[in-house]
Amino acid sequence: MRRLPVYLLLDTSGSMRGEPIESVKVGLETMIASLRQDPFALESVCISIITFDREVKQLMPLTELENMQLPAIQTPESGPTHLGEALEMLCRKVDSEVQLSTPEKKGDWMPLLFIMTDGKPSDSQKYNQMIPEVKKRHFGSIIACAAGAKADPKPLELLTDQVYSLDTTDGATFRQFFKWVSASVSIGNRSIGASDEILLPPPPPEVNKVI
Amino acid sequence: MEWIDWLKEIGLPVEDAKHAQTFINQYEDTIKTFVHEKWNEYLPNQENELPLINDSEQIENRIELDEMKFGESTNQGKENAEKRETDFLQLQVKNKHVTVSNGKVKQKYCFLFDAEADFPGIENVIFEGLETIGLQYNTETKTIEGTPTQAGDHKIIMRYGFKNREESRPTSLEKEFTLIVNPDPRSLWKNTPTPLDEEYYKPDEDKAFVKVESKTTRKLLGLKQEKEARKDMVAASQRGRSHAHESKARDDDFKLYFDDASEWYVMVVADGAGSAKYSREGSRIACTTVVEVCKAKIFELKDIFETQITEFHKTDSNENRKKIGDSLYSIIGTAAFKAVKNIEQEAQKKPILMKEFSTTLLVSICKKFEFGWFVGAFWVGDGGMGIYRKEEPEYLKILGEPDGGEFAGQTRFLTMPEIIQPTEIYRRLRFDIVSDFTALILMTDGVTDPKFETDANLNRIEKWHALWDDLNGNNEDNVKVDFSDDNEQSADQLLEWLNFWSKGNHDDRTIAILF
Repeated sequence: MRRLPVYLLLDTSGSMRGEPIESVKVGLETMIASLRQDPFALESVCISIITFDREVKQLMPLTELENMQLPAIQTPESGPTHLGEALEMLCRKVDSEVQLSTPEKKGDWMPLLFIMTDGKPSDSQKYNQMIPEVKKRHFGSIIACAAGAKADPKPLELLTDQVYSLDTTDGATFRQFFKWVSASVSIGNRSIGASDEILLPPPPPEVNKVI
Repeated sequence: MEWIDWLKEIGLPVEDAKHAQTFINQYEDTIKTFVHEKWNEYLPNQENELPLINDSEQIENRIELDEMKFGESTNQGKENAEKRETDFLQLQVKNKHVTVSNGKVKQKYCFLFDAEADFPGIENVIFEGLETIGLQYNTETKTIEGTPTQAGDHKIIMRYGFKNREESRPTSLEKEFTLIVNPDPRSLWKNTPTPLDEEYYKPDEDKAFVKVESKTTRKLLGLKQEKEARKDMVAASQRGRSHAHESKARDDDFKLYFDDASEWYVMVVADGAGSAKYSREGSRIACTTVVEVCKAKIFELKDIFETQITEFHKTDSNENRKKIGDSLYSIIGTAAFKAVKNIEQEAQKKPILMKEFSTTLLVSICKKFEFGWFVGAFWVGDGGMGIYRKEEPEYLKILGEPDGGEFAGQTRFLTMPEIIQPTEIYRRLRFDIVSDFTALILMTDGVTDPKFETDANLNRIEKWHALWDDLNGNNEDNVKVDFSDDNEQSADQLLEWLNFWSKGNHDDRTIAILF
């Protein structure tokens, strides 16, 4: 069976505490529920969740949608945003979890990466070091989301040309965002082939593409 | 020590109990998790023994902490030891995350859940919410079992009591957890016909049977007539569930042709790229053009070509091999080249980039000679094509190599500029002479992915045996394709066979068989 690996990198730094992270949780739940209604996704999507604050944790290793249960997401009271370190862990996990085609093994679909942050990387040196490493992993698509007024889209633009900004970090906005993520995942599942670029569905109005 | 004092002791400037309570309420989750984590770290050291209240000072503190986070005990210390232990047990149950495996609608479910072992000290466990979704708790095997009837995230309540405690009534305490039941993916697939007014409309399914009737031959002196059965061709193409779900057109195509005069067979199968906008037309143009050109080129070159084949059969030399290669290049190479040109022309008409018509291509031309079958082939992209003989001596020849990439779905297309280069076309030509065979099969990746899975398996004759058995009715749907001579029903049977179920494999499926 061909799997579609989906990596979610979520900011859990102090500023996400409270309503923002609760909204993210609700958004995630809605996303999982709606993906379960998509027969494609149900049979091929695998999700991994990596959170980053002062610490970087893979909350959930690459797990089939069918078998997954959302883990608890915690946020510390305050602290830095170690996005660079998160990318480092991401690369490590992709190397060990994503199956490439070999004569004896069937390869996975190109993985998808979604990053959500409400700030900017505190470990910018590491972050910049990791950018070429992430690019080497051949993600089918990298979509970054700068959420809230304090989010800085500039560093994200170094990583991907698909950077979107969300004005607020409330429930409605995140719900829209994750709905869109799940639509992108559904599409990513089937349109890889002649071109390497995945055609994304148009983003919802709450999500503004950064030009 | 009051817990508020304890907070002060670790350096928090709490004012009063209310102030502390607000703090705790706000960070309840974090404290819970922290205590829980630490508790798990601590447990293995204690050899999993449930510590009793009078064990040590450490536990005393632990319980204070535990109670603190629920803010339940205001006059802790005055309670008796039993009450504290009960609280402690209850806390354990509350904090321990219950994870039960996910179920699937209409599929038998069985999960071992020995609550009394998981939560030492509890008894009289009952569950609420199982029956309504088709499940029950088997107290003997201690399993949640049954066949789920409803998909969704179901809330299940576990009621329990404590051993030797007043609260031993099963309804006195409860814990909620979620049991996820996935829908049956088969029930989620929709099948919506492709709109008839769609640009480059193509029917959602297609089939063909080319009957090649028995030939009457006269033996020596023409005294005795003998009927000689000749192989027929059958093909079927079915839109994948992935396309049917979104009312998108089938991207695959095929074309069969038998030339009565020269007795040459031509078979073509093409798979339009899923991501290319007009690939359904790309595959159609490729199939049609290849048959047209092969027909014309075979007519033009057949005398020389057939002599070359006979010569090669007599003497397998590099020189003779090269001659056949050159002729194949003139026939199939020209056909492939013309197909690209026709696609290019169509793309220019739109105008749109040619890659929007991306398609793979598998071609085979063959003819029966006195000494056996000549099979020539050309292959770009994924899928599979091979000559298969079931009977002894078993035989398998794969007529090329599938083009794959690092990741799934990556392949090469006829329309890529690097493919339509003389050396590249030449490299992709194959031919073989075999005395006889059971089947010559061409298929797109919609069939090879589920049936062969890997490139290595495509070269394993056991997998071909399995495929042939499968085609002959050895499958879960009991669909049998009857490969007896001149069976025109085989096209319908093959089309039905293509509906087989394979998890995660829902691409368009096309198969063409010479038998």
